[in-house]
Amino acid sequence: MKHWLRRQRYLADFTLAALARRRVKNTGLIVIYSIIVFVLASAMMFSAALRHEAGTVLAKSPELIVQQLVMGRHEMIPGSEIEKLAGIRGVAAVKGRLWGYFYDSVNGANYTFMVPDDDSYDLQPGEAILGEGIGKARDFTWDTAPLFVTSLAGKMVKFTVRETFADDSALLTADLVLISEADFRSFFDLPPDVYTDIGVSIRNEREIGTIVQKAQLVMPNARFVTRSDIERTYQRLFDWREGLMTALAAAGVLAFAIFAAEKASGLSAEEAREIGILKAIGWDTGDVIAMKLWEGGLISFGAFLAGTVFAYIHVFSFQAGLFEPILKGWAVIYPDFALAPYIDGLQLATLFAITVIPYTAATLVPIWRAATADPDQVMR
Amino acid sequence: MISLKNVSKLYNEGRPNEVCAAQDIDLELARNKVTVLTGPSGSGKTTLLSMIGCLTRPTTGRVFVDGAMVSGLPEKFQTELRRTKFGFVFQRFNLIRGVSVIENVMLPAAPLGPEYHELRERAQSRLERLGLGAKADMPIEFLSGGETQRAAIARALINDAPVLIADEPTANLDTVLTERFLEIVGELQSEGKTVVMTSHDPRIWQSSHVNTVVRMQDGRIIGVDA
Amino acid sequence: MIFQTPILALLLISALSSVVMLWAGWFALRLLLRWDLASGSRAQLEMERATDLVSTLFGFVMLAQLLSLLLYVFNADRMATLFVGAMCAVGTLNNNDWGFPTLYAKLAIFFVATMWLILDRADRTGHDYPLTRVKFALVLLIVPLVLAAGASELTYFLNLQADVITSCCSTEFTADTEDAGLGSDMSSLAPATALWLLAASGAAVALIGAVSLIWKRGTMLFAAAGAVFFVVALTAIISVISPYVYEHPTHHCPFCILKPEYNYFGYVLYVPLFLGTAFALGAGLLQPFRKVESLAATLPARIRKQVALSLASFVVFGLVVLWTIWQSQLILFG
Repeated sequence: MKHWLRRQRYLADFTLAALARRRVKNTGLIVIYSIIVFVLASAMMFSAALRHEAGTVLAKSPELIVQQLVMGRHEMIPGSEIEKLAGIRGVAAVKGRLWGYFYDSVNGANYTFMVPDDDSYDLQPGEAILGEGIGKARDFTWDTAPLFVTSLAGKMVKFTVRETFADDSALLTADLVLISEADFRSFFDLPPDVYTDIGVSIRNEREIGTIVQKAQLVMPNARFVTRSDIERTYQRLFDWREGLMTALAAAGVLAFAIFAAEKASGLSAEEAREIGILKAIGWDTGDVIAMKLWEGGLISFGAFLAGTVFAYIHVFSFQAGLFEPILKGWAVIYPDFALAPYIDGLQLATLFAITVIPYTAATLVPIWRAATADPDQVMR
Repeated sequence: MISLKNVSKLYNEGRPNEVCAAQDIDLELARNKVTVLTGPSGSGKTTLLSMIGCLTRPTTGRVFVDGAMVSGLPEKFQTELRRTKFGFVFQRFNLIRGVSVIENVMLPAAPLGPEYHELRERAQSRLERLGLGAKADMPIEFLSGGETQRAAIARALINDAPVLIADEPTANLDTVLTERFLEIVGELQSEGKTVVMTSHDPRIWQSSHVNTVVRMQDGRIIGVDA
Repeated sequence: MIFQTPILALLLISALSSVVMLWAGWFALRLLLRWDLASGSRAQLEMERATDLVSTLFGFVMLAQLLSLLLYVFNADRMATLFVGAMCAVGTLNNNDWGFPTLYAKLAIFFVATMWLILDRADRTGHDYPLTRVKFALVLLIVPLVLAAGASELTYFLNLQADVITSCCSTEFTADTEDAGLGSDMSSLAPATALWLLAASGAAVALIGAVSLIWKRGTMLFAAAGAVFFVVALTAIISVISPYVYEHPTHHCPFCILKPEYNYFGYVLYVPLFLGTAFALGAGLLQPFRKVESLAATLPARIRKQVALSLASFVVFGLVVLWTIWQSQLILFG
């Protein structure tokens, strides 16, 4: 064991010196390698962070959402349905929710108007809480400038802005306007006691299926959307985009693998001579292979580290500036936000598998070929 | 100590450019003697030396070292044998550029995984003995021709191998340095080492340090002068 | 479903491994037909050199497959949110008939490839390629396994259905389900019995191992005991150790312990168990060759080292188990 470790140390020492001697050749390789890792890592980290963000938000939403359907289209739901749902065993709380979209003709943007579920906001009539995108879209000169909007009926309404959401949840709050229930009903001309939909909280998550079955009997016209349905849809959406990026990047990885194989087999005369010398003075094929594997390992490690770190900075400090258009979608109010840094082992293992493994696979045969050089060539 | 029985070596076997570099060679090399293989270029002396030093296998015939047949061994064990029995000095010295003198000297021992400081001291003592102690940490390309050759000898001695193999060791040296080389060979012999080298330099095979001269031509031995 | 990065990564590893193994299989066939150490022919020399390449490639496939095993379980766990009824890896793997067979094939590859590498290392210490034929005959057995694992994995991923309601660990590893599968058999084993069995087989392994180390006999028995211990330990993990980790008497899942929520504790449990078993099997594998002339000098020492490493790994496993029980808030016996 001790000998094994020391042998590895000599090999690593020699490899480092060899890498330093061929600085130009290796720098090019590492730069291209790092770029491949960087692109893939950025795509993966970005969509994982979005997934994570969506998951965090969903964790706060009710387990089940009930929507009224009329001829297959979404309709306002009467408040009387709340009682029916509350009567089902296992239901912890039922709450009518009010939300809707509003097209702002001033700047062509869509806002989401919403009455907060959470009573702790305690919004008074005339007050509003805004997402940070709205102030930007309206060119607010100061943070709490009042918001003027024209309702559908043509009425001009003024809201005093109590606060603006912080940037860190901007993905979901950028276009959000929270107002009181009274304001909401008058702004959209809604009758009292109807709701956009109903949120149902359920005590035991395993009973959701049973509760949905029972509720379907009571409300045959309703659509039931569970939280895990939404979660699944989100996950699939993000996964699919990420997967598509990866599949596209596969072409890049393949090109890189070919390039790496080329580099590894095109030994310079100098390198071939060195290997010949080493073999002649008592290095065995296995020693040379081990030395070359060290070389590949150090290059991979460096490129993997550099690519991952730069991707991390790119995604979490610069909001993935290079990929935004592909991964986020298009909208006038574009959320300008910092993603919460989030990485897990699966991502790193996957990243490793799709970058380092192709590189290693591409270089093994050339390495072996170089290592089996005849030792007597140094005599010729 | 080393014997060759009916050894031949073909290069590019079975192809139109087949060359027979050595043919039907029987040779016995005695322990603790200095042997020189000589002959015109292309006479097969370097090929013979390669086979003696287990750098290449004969196409036919057998090579024995200390009574054990080594020509059929797998490559791995030929390497091991090279490491333990032979030290090599090549015609162009073949030191690795960009690596310091002492690290070059340490290289043959590295795969064995010896303790670093112990190996470094061993390398230092070899260099000092050859008058290079002060230049141990210099890059190899800063040494002069004679110094480079002595560094190569130091490298050949690092594993305490009983046989020193040298291919045209004095081809790039002037008379003074050639004398110095022969002195070193004499010292090694007095320590009990066996030396085998090729040379077409009359200063070598006329030297009093040399015990046996093997004359070669066209891949065959044409005479042995003891 | 296939356009998911971890799945693409897994398929990539399978594809590369299959290509390597196909080549290795073809080489093995040639070698078994033409290997002749006495001949110094160019073909023979080239074959001898190529064995170095095969060893290197095999080490690479082995590492890639190990990564693939981890990735497979990890990914199944993460994908659980995509399937109705799935709470962890078990639910995802139950989505269709190919999930668990793929996992078992990957585990089998891990053990077989480890065996091969142990044999390879032993072979390289002999100067006349003493085990080369055995080694390459074994390659011919491994090739179909790797190909089958790759095919099974591909079938599994292509047939993942989002709308299938899968059964997860809560039903799979519950003692009183009607469809008594292997999992429920293992978890229905009474905790006390499972612990006694574990202790007894552990003691047996230790005893046989000690005999093998001191008197140099019974190594084959030790390998068999190691294999038995592996099965008993897995049963004990499902029956009694997992509940201790979850601090919940009816949660038996052997996969949830790998999750971050439980601090990846499962790895601490599984890694020494797998290593110990692999070394034990390796010792048994080498045993028949200890009299081979060119290995006689080194092989007995190597076998004893394997036995010692195996015992050490099992001891670590035992300590981890004891620690789990000791620090758990759950009281099963009282």
